[in-house]
Amino acid sequence: MISRRFFLRSGTLALASFGLDPLFLDRAAYAITPLRTSAGGKTLVCLFQRGAVDGLNMVVPHGDSAYYRDRPRIAVPRQSVVDLDGHFGLHPELAALKPLWDNRSLAVVHAVGSPDTTRSHFDAQDYMETGTPGVKSTTDGWLNRYCQHNHEHQETPFRAVAFGPQLPRIMGGTAPSLAIDDLKAFGLQAGRPETRDKLTRAFESLYQGSATGMLASTSEESFEAVRMLEEVNPAQYRPAAGVEYPRGNFGQSLMQIAQLIKANMGLEVAFADIGGWDTHVNQGAADGQLANRLREFGQGMAAFSSDLGERMADVVVLTMSEFGRTVRENGNRGTDHGHATAMMVMGGSVDGGRVYGRWPGLDEANLHQGRDLAVTTDFRDLFGEVLLGHLGAADLGPIFPGYQLDRRRFTGVIR
Amino acid sequence: MHPCLTFCALTAVLLAVRPLQAQQSTPAVDSAVHVLSRLAYGPLPGQVDRVAQEGAWHWIDRQLRPEDIDNRILEHRESQFSVLDYSRDDLAGAFLAFQRQRRERQRAMAQRGDSATSRDQGRRMSSSGRELRQLRGQVGQLVVVRASTSNRQLEEVMIDFWANHFNVYFAKGLDRVLLPHYIEETIRPNAMGRFEDLLRATARDPAMLFYLDNMQSVAPGARPPGLDRRLMRMSRNAQRGAASVDSMRRRIEARIPKGLNENYARELLELHTVGVDAGYTQEDVIDVARILTGWSISRRDDRVRFQFNEWAHDRDEKTVLGYRFPPGKNQDEGERLLTMLANHPATMHHVSGKLCTRFVSDTPAPGCVDAAVSAWRRTDGDIRMVLRAIFSAPDFWAAAHRGTKVKTPLEFTVSAVRSVGATPRDGPGMSRVVAKLGQPLYLEAAPTGYPETQEYWVNSGALLNRMNVAMALASNKLPGITVDLDAVVPASDDIDALIDAVDDRILAGQMTQRTREVIRRELEDVADPADRRMLAVGLAIGGPEFQRQ
Repeated sequence: MISRRFFLRSGTLALASFGLDPLFLDRAAYAITPLRTSAGGKTLVCLFQRGAVDGLNMVVPHGDSAYYRDRPRIAVPRQSVVDLDGHFGLHPELAALKPLWDNRSLAVVHAVGSPDTTRSHFDAQDYMETGTPGVKSTTDGWLNRYCQHNHEHQETPFRAVAFGPQLPRIMGGTAPSLAIDDLKAFGLQAGRPETRDKLTRAFESLYQGSATGMLASTSEESFEAVRMLEEVNPAQYRPAAGVEYPRGNFGQSLMQIAQLIKANMGLEVAFADIGGWDTHVNQGAADGQLANRLREFGQGMAAFSSDLGERMADVVVLTMSEFGRTVRENGNRGTDHGHATAMMVMGGSVDGGRVYGRWPGLDEANLHQGRDLAVTTDFRDLFGEVLLGHLGAADLGPIFPGYQLDRRRFTGVIR
Repeated sequence: MHPCLTFCALTAVLLAVRPLQAQQSTPAVDSAVHVLSRLAYGPLPGQVDRVAQEGAWHWIDRQLRPEDIDNRILEHRESQFSVLDYSRDDLAGAFLAFQRQRRERQRAMAQRGDSATSRDQGRRMSSSGRELRQLRGQVGQLVVVRASTSNRQLEEVMIDFWANHFNVYFAKGLDRVLLPHYIEETIRPNAMGRFEDLLRATARDPAMLFYLDNMQSVAPGARPPGLDRRLMRMSRNAQRGAASVDSMRRRIEARIPKGLNENYARELLELHTVGVDAGYTQEDVIDVARILTGWSISRRDDRVRFQFNEWAHDRDEKTVLGYRFPPGKNQDEGERLLTMLANHPATMHHVSGKLCTRFVSDTPAPGCVDAAVSAWRRTDGDIRMVLRAIFSAPDFWAAAHRGTKVKTPLEFTVSAVRSVGATPRDGPGMSRVVAKLGQPLYLEAAPTGYPETQEYWVNSGALLNRMNVAMALASNKLPGITVDLDAVVPASDDIDALIDAVDDRILAGQMTQRTREVIRRELEDVADPADRRMLAVGLAIGGPEFQRQ
């Protein structure tokens, strides 16, 4: 295990001979250098569109005539599309992202997806989060495995943070990771600040005194995290001038991610999700149901980028969704579960202003099972490319087990 | 008269009469603490002494015969959970009807050209939808109530073990309504029986067939009889226009199972029986899937049943782990497969290893596993006898293994509730607490179920949350539960007496000297005796000793 190797490398080999249990050693390796990191660490932010976004109406292939033929009632009209390259264009409600495309910090990968053909949201999300399509019993997520196997990063309790009430599959595993619903509520809760301080001090002394093994090292991380957050004071956060995040959980999560990045808390991988993409009925075209979701999504990403300003040089935002939707509209002016979709990649290391991935076309002969956009980029190739190119992952093998990653299949989206 | 007066007076007398420190480390008390921590969800107030007096082994023997233990208090509590009055058909019928209504509403909206957001749809949720949600909400809370109230503690522990071993995800489609019946009729009655019966019951339970997709696994090329005739009839009678018939045809075609689905077959080998190290190959997985083609579900008249579909069954020859399954068989070869797997030596080792991890140590000693395996072999997988062998193994009693396992969120929450002698109410409050700590009940998506080992449960956010839960419980602010500390730890002006009582009642005498010093220091500047007691109890439950069992 690389964590063990790192531990040995950091010159504390002597401990191992005391016969401490190996799990403690693994975790002890995580507990080093609990100091504030300097600016300049890289961050990857993954945004999951749960429910299978219609990639064809998000990044519209308006140059493909089959698109208009198959979607008589829900296609985004050519005059409404925000054109990108003459063939693809953004949904008009994503117009806030156009300036990022123009300054080449936003790219799109189209026709990306899973080699597994399941049409179950549950299974497909599971596969995308574990990074092992077709294998259900994988216990950890690929973002967690990245943390397990890449120890060059300075360790802080905020290295891997998912926003939401529970830790999602993608971040579950043996490397420490936090699920945070609200930064303001992290730590001991009490009505008065004095009570809170007293409780924090009391529990910290209890664990310092009597905890052993993993409880000891983890509690140390916990109280370090509480102290770091106290200094940052999340309740007082104001985004950069003129930046307004969309109301709702998604905007709040993005704002708190920006806050952690700006405070140099050592955030390396962050995760947030947004639902409402399962548009079987009345999905709408230039406006309507899907348009409303895309507005929130696009405004959130644009606000995040403006809020971070120059810090975006060290950040990449990667969007994902479990699968795409049928090319043809259904009888309810909606779309059903399909196969490939589009993903967006935004940030400093992105070679933006381009749509990546081979476009398989929408002619019936080229469709997956005669109905869906075919997958030409395996999502693991994109995720792996981002881990390698942006975060500098040392070895992708253990992060995507059972898959031979090959740089020649990388799209080129990361500079 | 307030009931507490007599009870508290009694407790006070007991505490006053009994020299607390002196009793704490007799072997009988230590053994009682150990079995109540591992074979139960922690001791109730006073239970350590009772079990020490009875003798730990005597208590274990009784726990191994749960049917002889009076459980009327729990039965009364269960009667408050209306979800138990609904049969699988009731729940499935309500769910399918609800889905139909929603589809019709959507179709109507589509025809009107409405573009409703999902929030609007939520607001319009019918009363049947709300009722279903309320019933589903009871299921997690029932777990907490049973674990904290049942006198058959070991049985509840085993039910939790098997529900994880044979995990089903409570949020996947139809499993939203199939899971309650799965727990009540498949897991609970078999938890202390024979492993083979339990395995067979899970294999044919619609909840499992749905969860791991075996219901849609068919021999390649097989099509349901009569389907093509139905599709032709549909085209002939096309009244709604060719486009709409086309779209319906496509939907029907997309829904028809198109060949083998290996999910259940793989997990059956890897997780439920022989284990990942048993040396099977992908060909074995495929042949298990082929043997089980046709094991499916019928949903006729909204009644969900196990059904073997002969048309979907692969009748060619198969080989699994060297066992030959001759051609021309039907459902019977699946039964034969399950018998073979249930009694395979690798299964004995794999499942015994998991049991030893649960009851003895995160890294179980081979001696414990061997003892369990030989009992399994001797008794054809009688779960009680396997457990008895584990509890008889020296590893189980070894000092090095006592008080070392980190509690899962469920174990932490329930043991905290039990330690203060509180009773959770029937609302969803306490199961939400367990979820908040990272273990939403029956909501682990992966077929592995929730892990048993500490590295999964010990992380910064969760640990801080445990401290918060401990303080909220001590100050009687947790939703869904009423705590009366007077009945457990009387408020006292004497700080040392208070700490002694907390050590004895809450920590079963396991408080370290350092913890005692820290709590003492923190209590000194708290003037109000009730506040002082609250702080002492909260620190004890949120502190390091209480996280282990």
